[in-house]
Amino acid sequence: MPSPADRPVSRIVSRKSGARTLADGFKIWNRKLHYYLGLYFLFFLWMFALSGLLLNHGSWSFAQFFPNRKVTNVERTVQTPTSASDLDQAQDLLRQFGIQGEISLNAVRTDPARLDFNVSRPGHVYQIQADFTRARAKIAHTEYNAWGVLRTLHTFVGVSLDDPRIQRDWVLTTVWAYSMDAVAAGVILMVLTSFYMWWGLAGKRLFGLVALGLGTAVCWLFVFGLRWIYAG
Amino acid sequence: MKQFYAFTRDLHLYFGLFISPLVLVFAFSVFFLAHAWLPGASPTPASRTAGDLSIPAGVELLSGREQVNALRGVLDRLGVQGEVNFIRRIPNEHRLVIPVIVPGREVTVDLNLETRSAIVTSRGENMWSAMIYLHKMPGQHLANLRGNWIYLRLWRWLADATVYLALFLSVSGIYLWTVLRAERRIGLALLAAGAFSFFGLVYAIAR
Repeated sequence: MPSPADRPVSRIVSRKSGARTLADGFKIWNRKLHYYLGLYFLFFLWMFALSGLLLNHGSWSFAQFFPNRKVTNVERTVQTPTSASDLDQAQDLLRQFGIQGEISLNAVRTDPARLDFNVSRPGHVYQIQADFTRARAKIAHTEYNAWGVLRTLHTFVGVSLDDPRIQRDWVLTTVWAYSMDAVAAGVILMVLTSFYMWWGLAGKRLFGLVALGLGTAVCWLFVFGLRWIYAG
Repeated sequence: MKQFYAFTRDLHLYFGLFISPLVLVFAFSVFFLAHAWLPGASPTPASRTAGDLSIPAGVELLSGREQVNALRGVLDRLGVQGEVNFIRRIPNEHRLVIPVIVPGREVTVDLNLETRSAIVTSRGENMWSAMIYLHKMPGQHLANLRGNWIYLRLWRWLADATVYLALFLSVSGIYLWTVLRAERRIGLALLAAGAFSFFGLVYAIAR
C-alpha cells in the first residue's frame, strides 16, 4: 500500500509505463494483424496467385480448359416478357430457365421479337437466342473445367474500363468484386504492418533497405520511369 | 531447427520487402479494375503527322510477331517506342492501325501504306493507368504477340517472380505462425473462417 508521499512518483511511473504499454500494445497488435490477415486471406491469395500465373501462361498444357469444354444445346419454350428494357427482359427469361449469372447483351437490338444475349459465371457461359414470335429460345451452354473456373474467377468483375456501358447485374458478381477489394485492402495492410515490424528490427534495417530499395527502383522504372525515358 | 527458423524468417523479411512495392502495384490497381474507375481526367490526345516514310514492302501481308518486327523500324523512325498491343489492318484503305503502349501512355500510329504517311496520336499520362496496364500484362490475350518490347518481357519475368515469391511468403508465413504456440488456436480459427468464406463464395458463384 503506497503512502500518500509516494503518489506523485507512482503517477509518473504509471504514465511512463502507460505510454510504453501503448507502444508495446501497438507493436503486438501490428504483428498479430499481419499474420491474422495472412491466415484469413490465405486461400484467396493462393487462388489469385495461381490464376494470375495461369493467365500469363496460357500455353501450359496441364491447365488447358477451352479444348476440354462441354457444349450442350437445348431449345425451350418461353413466355414473352412484359418488361420494357432489354436487361429486364433478359432477367425475366433467366428466371424462366432457372439460370443465374452476369448478363451481357449483344449489340443494338434491331428486331423487338428477338433477344440475343450471353450469361456467364465462372465455369459456365450460356448463349441465349430468344424468338418471341415462336415462343422458343435456343440455349447453348458451355461448361469449363476447374482451370477455366480459376481463370475466370481472377477477372470476374462484370465491368470493364474499356467499355463503360457494361454494368454489373448479378448480385454475386458484386459480392465477388467487393471481396477482391477486401483482399487487396488486406494485402496493403499486410505490407504496411510488415514495414513497421521490419523497422523495429534495428539489426535488419540495412539489408532491408537494400531489398526494399531494389524493389522500389524496379517498380518506379515500370510505373514512372519508362514514360519518362520514352517521352515521345 | 533454430537456424532454420532464423533463416526462414530472414528470407520472409527480405523477399517480402523486395516484392512489397510490386505487390502494392497489383493491390491498388485491383480497386480500379474491379470497379472500372480511373482517377484523374484523361488529358486531350496530341496528334502529329509524319510523311515520306520508308515502309517495308508487303508488311501488310505479314502477321503476328513477324509483322511487328517488320514495323519496328518504322516505329523507331517515328520516335514511337513500346509494346505493340495489336495491329489492325484496314485493307480497302491500305492502312495499318498500331497502338503502342508504354505503361501509362498509349500512342496510336495510323499508318497509310499508300501515301507512306502516318498520324501519330498520343494519349494518357497517368500513374494509375500504368498500374492497371502492368496488372493485366502479359495476360491471356494475343500471347504470340505479347512481349514484343524488351521491357514487357522483363515485366513478364517480374510478374511471375512476384507470384512465386508471394507463394513462398505465404508458406513461410504459415511456418513462422505455427512456431507461435499461443497463436495457434486463433490462427486456426481465422484460417477456417477464411476457407469457409472463400470456398462458400466460389461455390455460390461457380456451381
